[in-house]
Amino acid sequence: MSATALPAARTRRTELPSGIIAGGGLIVLLGLWEAAVHLWHLPGYILPDPAAVWRALWSGIAVSPASPLGWYRPLWGTFRNAALGFFIGSAVGLAAGSAMAESRTVERLLMPYAFALQCLPKVAIAPLIVIWFGFGDGSKIAIAALLALFPVMINSFTGLRAVEPERIDLMRALSASRIETYRLVKLPNAAPYIFAGLDMAVVYALLGTIVAEFLGAQEGMGVVITQAESVTDVAGVFAALIILGALGMALHGLVRALERRVVHWADRGKH
Amino acid sequence: MSATLSPARSAPGPSPDAAPLIRMAGVGKTYHAAGGATVRALDGVDLDIADGAFVSVVGPSGCGKSTLLRMLAGLDRCEEGSLRLGGRDVRGPSGEVGVVFQAANLLPWMTVRENIRLPLRVGGRHAPAEARIDALLEVTGLADFGARYPYELSGGMQQRAGICRALVRDPRILLMDEPFGALDALTRERMNAELQRIWQTSGKTVLLITHSISEAIFLADQVVVMSPRPGRVLRVLEVPIPRPRSFDSIVSHPAYAGLAREIRALLTEPGDAP
Repeated sequence: MSATALPAARTRRTELPSGIIAGGGLIVLLGLWEAAVHLWHLPGYILPDPAAVWRALWSGIAVSPASPLGWYRPLWGTFRNAALGFFIGSAVGLAAGSAMAESRTVERLLMPYAFALQCLPKVAIAPLIVIWFGFGDGSKIAIAALLALFPVMINSFTGLRAVEPERIDLMRALSASRIETYRLVKLPNAAPYIFAGLDMAVVYALLGTIVAEFLGAQEGMGVVITQAESVTDVAGVFAALIILGALGMALHGLVRALERRVVHWADRGKH
Repeated sequence: MSATLSPARSAPGPSPDAAPLIRMAGVGKTYHAAGGATVRALDGVDLDIADGAFVSVVGPSGCGKSTLLRMLAGLDRCEEGSLRLGGRDVRGPSGEVGVVFQAANLLPWMTVRENIRLPLRVGGRHAPAEARIDALLEVTGLADFGARYPYELSGGMQQRAGICRALVRDPRILLMDEPFGALDALTRERMNAELQRIWQTSGKTVLLITHSISEAIFLADQVVVMSPRPGRVLRVLEVPIPRPRSFDSIVSHPAYAGLAREIRALLTEPGDAP
């Protein structure tokens, strides 16, 4: 018991200062912000002071979840579409990456296009996708999926190819089938790579959803931002950005927590 | 516990009258590098290994001894000469052979028990054999570690789990490629003693590749000494030391020093000395 409690206490002691530093940095930033607004008499439609942003933030929090004025409904809409896009994009990315890793022919077929598409700013395709999928949830999910696909595809391809030859020898010596080798060795072996891809994908999916919402939507955080912009409610835009940042960090944290559970064996006395 | 393993033999060691379990005749191997260069790894290897024998193979680095083992395991094709196992040509991996890899080669995402169960789950095998896994864990002193992950085990324990995995399909032949090379000297001696015990209770035929002359002599009925590349069999030396052997008793045995000196002399033939 004490053996496990001791290292935990030690990590907490070393981690505490980093929290204090980040918190201190935030206080300094808020102070400078407040000072700048008052010093140069900046109007609220250029740069609102921190208190105004806080009021805008709080006014959306302190309402019933069903209220159209709160953050909850647009946030849910954006989250749902980003999550769906993330799952679809990741699944397609994993399937395509696996096919490329398993077959040289598929690799030669897909790799040039994968890189060409990767170099293309995919946000520029967004208007096209809105034309194809309409202004509803479909276009949001499609763009989120498109953005999520690439990091998962490339990372799973790399990870599946990075398997140690001894592990493949082991499976060959056991007369294991290709599917068994994939499922029992290659896929778990690639898990750290795949999670690195998922980590990127979850943030990209959120980005894709917001961009799609900018182009036209009934509901979502993108809509909240464009509406606030149209009435030069800059404090409202700031508040929405804070909410989106928090959502992004929460999703990132979720993927990392899942990774720690699944890939618990990584970086521990490798042999 | 050993009752669930193969029946223990009353007199370990090769029976000279029986047909050899492994027969190599004129086995050669040439590797073709990407640039068109060729490397002659093995050349005209003739070797018979009797059923139940423990044979050590020693030789300089790159003499093709790992290639020989890979061919027996069915991982590399034998294109030259004949390689027969139990009277049949080796055409690919078979259930007759268990391989113990360098540095254990356990899968880090599986527990020790799952690693040992792996050979029973793949290659068209779906035989639940928890009792057999329990027996193997017991024999190798890992009974309390089945639920642990490899990174929670010492190097010696990992390699013991690797041996369990190689034995779980109950193969006739155990191929070991420098299995204890990564261990410290004391752990290595302890593992050697345990391997001798496991071999004596299981009745397997073992082919062990090693760099250590003392390990080769301690474990083997015969020590095969190979030449530098291209690998040939220089000599097969009988080890006339009675079993069970211990490291204390073996170094004081009159045959030991002579054998060690002879092997060392063969390995440092003129022209090959550094």
